[in-house]
Amino acid sequence: MTKKINKRDIGKLLTQWNQEFAIFVPSKEGDTTKMTSWDGKDVSFLDWYRNTVIPPKASFFPPLEEMFHFQKNKGSYDLELPASDGQKKLIFGIRPCDAKALAILDMIFKDAYEDPYYLSKRENTVLVGLGCTNPYDSCFCTSLGSNPSDSANVDIMLTDIGDQFLMEAITDKGKSLIANTSGLDDATEADEARAKEAQETSYRKVTKRVDTKDIEERLLSCFEDQDYWEKVTAKCISCGICTFLCPTCYCFDINDELVKRQGVRFRSWDSCALPIYTKMPMENPREEKWQRVRQKVCHKYEFYPMNFDVIACTGCGRCIRQCPVNWDITQILASLPVKV
Amino acid sequence: MEQRLRTEAKTLLEQDKVDYIIGFEPGILKFTTTPLITKDKDDIDRLVINSFIANNLANFLTELKGRVGIVAKGCDSRSIVSLIQDNKVAREDVVILGVPCPGIIDLSKVEKLVGKDRDELDDIAREGDKVVITTDGKRNEFSITEALFDNCLGCELPTPQEYDILLGEPTSPVAEIAASQTQIARLKEMTPQERWEFWKNEFSRCIRCYACRNVCPACFCQRCFVEETEPQWALPVPKWQDNLLFQVVRNIHVAGRCTDCGECERACPVNIPLRSLTKEMYDIVSDLFQFKAGMDKDAPPLMTHYEQEEAEDLVR
Ligand code: SF4
Ligand code: SF4
Ligand code: SF4
Ligand code: SF4
Repeated sequence: MTKKINKRDIGKLLTQWNQEFAIFVPSKEGDTTKMTSWDGKDVSFLDWYRNTVIPPKASFFPPLEEMFHFQKNKGSYDLELPASDGQKKLIFGIRPCDAKALAILDMIFKDAYEDPYYLSKRENTVLVGLGCTNPYDSCFCTSLGSNPSDSANVDIMLTDIGDQFLMEAITDKGKSLIANTSGLDDATEADEARAKEAQETSYRKVTKRVDTKDIEERLLSCFEDQDYWEKVTAKCISCGICTFLCPTCYCFDINDELVKRQGVRFRSWDSCALPIYTKMPMENPREEKWQRVRQKVCHKYEFYPMNFDVIACTGCGRCIRQCPVNWDITQILASLPVKV
Repeated sequence: MEQRLRTEAKTLLEQDKVDYIIGFEPGILKFTTTPLITKDKDDIDRLVINSFIANNLANFLTELKGRVGIVAKGCDSRSIVSLIQDNKVAREDVVILGVPCPGIIDLSKVEKLVGKDRDELDDIAREGDKVVITTDGKRNEFSITEALFDNCLGCELPTPQEYDILLGEPTSPVAEIAASQTQIARLKEMTPQERWEFWKNEFSRCIRCYACRNVCPACFCQRCFVEETEPQWALPVPKWQDNLLFQVVRNIHVAGRCTDCGECERACPVNIPLRSLTKEMYDIVSDLFQFKAGMDKDAPPLMTHYEQEEAEDLVR
């Protein structure tokens, strides 16, 4: 079931979907871009949007989230869960790398422990993907089994074919939504041919690469090479940017706020790059900076694949674009002193 | 300048005058540079000096053990001097390779001038007091004052005063003081209520990545107050009130140490105009105490130095 829609009708389409869903679209707050609740009219993101600084994981795993609030009594506590908004959500325009990142996060949040905070939001959300026509010079998704037009992890996929978007239903959720949407035209064979051509052009625009062949073994073989890791991490300043903004990083910290017997338990993003990581329950086992940066690289390219059979990096390039010292993970992966 | 730097840096390593060289090399992304920290003289030919050497390299001095040859723009040299004043770095352990600095280009301003992202530009070139941005083969000329970082526009010391080797002829300040204060002036025009709303809004975006603190050469504490749990001065979660508190206290801690290098604002991934706070504090310190950080390595540091009489007056 392939449809198409005029770009100038996107506002109407979103209005229609807005009846059923809370809609989230790329938006700008100053220079900071993220997915925020649609204001009911502005679709100017279609002109400027390449990808957001804040990854869409924030819609499911926000930087700060109330887990519950409580009242402290004499010998007991009364706990109350936050009211669930129960709202059905639709994220419009998620990029293939970020949709893949959600699929990667699903694995950890559904693993030994099922995380109700993440999963309830995830199950209630429809993802409408938008293929990239203008990848950044820091994008390298094509090295990680995805590409700028990849529809594998969304419910509905849009491809830019000039004045229109080709619209494909990918999942059952997507199919039923499209079936219930009015104002769409059927795509012709010529439209599909145009989409294919556009997808091939986009694919060629991604020029950054990493070689992932035997990457687990290669990382393992140089794990103990302190000189190498020290040298390539010397300029890192141990901030939280690359991990917080990584669409697949999921570490969190838990803190209580207690004011006059009324308390809130929060969880918030945490990062293995920060020296204070895990200081509360124990010591940080990675005291040195080179160990922390190594952890970040190995977690994504060695440990996650060992556990879940997928590399926990989608090549979105945020860690490269946003790093204050321009540290580049692809350079590290290309320069590993492999011992065979 | 670049050639001279490479020669001097190589000599320093070869003659075993330093253990490390800290400078800049080209970044992987267009129009960027990245810190180069090395012991290896084969790396030295990668050193560059250009309009994009934004980082304040003084930040790495407190972390490295040994003697260091360091590339320093005017503001960086002040941060080094300030660290010497605070006894964090010994003067004899650093060889300052001074760069007379005509100002650093702010890529986010460039992007706004032409309405395109950095990676969509063909070229950005400084030509005297102009910047030429080439997009789609077309040259666009702007005054350089439209493209430099705000703090560069108000720079008081573009040529290092404290150095071992000066790599070029001294430059004079750009001195666009008003332009360097646009954001601050806007804030000053607001009512207190409006200003409160402004900061509330800005700090609601903070994600507590601590990049602002970690890029700051003046933030050298082993353990930052914000990580203390007994007492807990601020919650370590990104609530806007605590984010604001963190920044206000940080600002007080760096008063008299902040050299207006602009790194905190540049590093912030969510574009909070942090320099509006630090620069205002810089000016307050200058007015109240006639003190400017990092100008004189022999001057006692502002915040940790007391005269006998002061103590008697203060501690009763
Ligand atoms: S690599 Fe860059 S973004 Fe990541 S912790 Fe280091 S300095 Fe921060
Ligand atoms: S490691 Fe970097 S490129 Fe890979 S998914 Fe995370 S932020 Fe994106
Ligand atoms: S904010 Fe204050 S306590 Fe924290 S590192 Fe900076 S100077 Fe130290
Ligand atoms: S750099 Fe920005 S986002 Fe990060 S802690 Fe500082 S103010 Fe907050």
